[in-house]
Amino acid sequence: MANILVVEDDKDLNNAYKIILESENHTVVSAFNGKEALKALGEFTPDLILLDLLMPIMGGLEFLQHYDLINKHPNVKVLIFTNMENSPEVTEAYNLGADRCIIKSWTAPQNLARVITDTLENRTVSAKS
Amino acid sequence: MPPSEPRTPIASLNLEEQRVLAEALFTSIGDGAIATDEFGKITRINPTALQLLGYNEREMIGAWFPKKIVSVHENNQAVSLIDRPITRAFLTGKTIAEKAYYRRKNGQTMPVSITVSPIMLQGKPVGAIEVFRDITIEYEIDRMKSDFISLASHQLRTPLSSIKTYSHMLMDGYMGEVTPAQRKSLRTIVGAANRMNELISTLLNITRIESGNVTVTRKAVNVARLAEEVIKEHSLAASDKEISVELKTGSKPLPSVPTDPLLFKEVLNNLVSNGIKYTPQNGSVTLTIQNRRYDMQFTVTDSGMGIPKYSQEQIFTKFFRAHNVVKQETSGTGLGLYLVKGLVDALEGKIWFESTEGKGTSFFVTLPKNIESQQQTAQEED
Repeated sequence: MANILVVEDDKDLNNAYKIILESENHTVVSAFNGKEALKALGEFTPDLILLDLLMPIMGGLEFLQHYDLINKHPNVKVLIFTNMENSPEVTEAYNLGADRCIIKSWTAPQNLARVITDTLENRTVSAKS
Repeated sequence: MPPSEPRTPIASLNLEEQRVLAEALFTSIGDGAIATDEFGKITRINPTALQLLGYNEREMIGAWFPKKIVSVHENNQAVSLIDRPITRAFLTGKTIAEKAYYRRKNGQTMPVSITVSPIMLQGKPVGAIEVFRDITIEYEIDRMKSDFISLASHQLRTPLSSIKTYSHMLMDGYMGEVTPAQRKSLRTIVGAANRMNELISTLLNITRIESGNVTVTRKAVNVARLAEEVIKEHSLAASDKEISVELKTGSKPLPSVPTDPLLFKEVLNNLVSNGIKYTPQNGSVTLTIQNRRYDMQFTVTDSGMGIPKYSQEQIFTKFFRAHNVVKQETSGTGLGLYLVKGLVDALEGKIWFESTEGKGTSFFVTLPKNIESQQQTAQEED
């Protein structure tokens, strides 16, 4: 099973994702903004990062710039999990190397787990429920 | 001039007085105004234009308009001569109005609203006159409005995400077993959260389209697969009403189409969802894809209540709902088809419909197979 870093500022949602992903036997580390995520990455090597975009202190885009996903971590999958649908921020996240974007409020827990598995296996599925 | 004193008719002025009056009229225009001869050389420029562009009159008079007044795209690349409104006004003999960016003498750019008219004499263009104004403030307001909408939609959706996620977790047994009655209540909560979410999406997309801020990210899209996803997502709603939903793509594999998968999916979602919503029990909804010479045609046909003839002209207008629909289905907003039309326009496609009241409706959408005017990413949407 995979190592997953969850970066989400909403405590309720962050906790929910941890419960859901751990029930699928993934190892989960939680961070609540980009800065905490960078710190966590010093001790944890994820296979996938579940990343929110709009967060205090350091948002998802700034995190991706610092992390330098394309050049330094090409094997790490990044799944953008946001409510900013069809926005320029999502386009920018793709430019910074994100693999997929799913809309939080459209995605049911069992579908989140499925999308994560499929992203790790390079497959495309619908996340809408 | 006192009101009692009669005005001097222009015709009675001598040539010099008429020239002075014309000059005064030209210089008094509150927007920037520039006149050229038939070769595009600047013959007159008013003080507002000089102030906006940062030049003095000596630098402008006699200069070739397209070279002296540099028009650029949003990315700061120069607009080609053939695309300049002044060129088009000369070539077509028609007034051209559009928005652009002008580069000031100091190198800064400003958004402008331009109207160029050819000056015609005995049917031939003898020059052109351009009026333009600085629309920096309007652009700034649009940007702020767009930022506000994005932020507001994000903030509205965050609690909604929690409601939906935890309701699903309860339903799926993450917090222990639930009774059938509890499960039914949880389904109601999820259904309401989904409706709220759809409404936020629709409002957000409409605001983006209306303010010209819709972001079209084109990819080579496997439209058959995308259509299949749409059909799957609606199969539950269809089976609840015992409506058959079918996808027809023909026997040959379909080529990919350069379009924005998220926006186009929204179009198909709306049309299929409408088809199911407005078709009675045991009816049918079919999505057909046809590969045509220049475009891909998508047809959503239902055996529903149809659109009354007298309502057909208004069907794509905002908040419009046909009378027969209002009588039977109360949950619609009248925004779906308005949004669909805006999205299809943004994707450079076409939409139309054929409908017979009481028998059903077919909505046709075409997407061009080649988009030359837009940058495309060659990335395959797999």
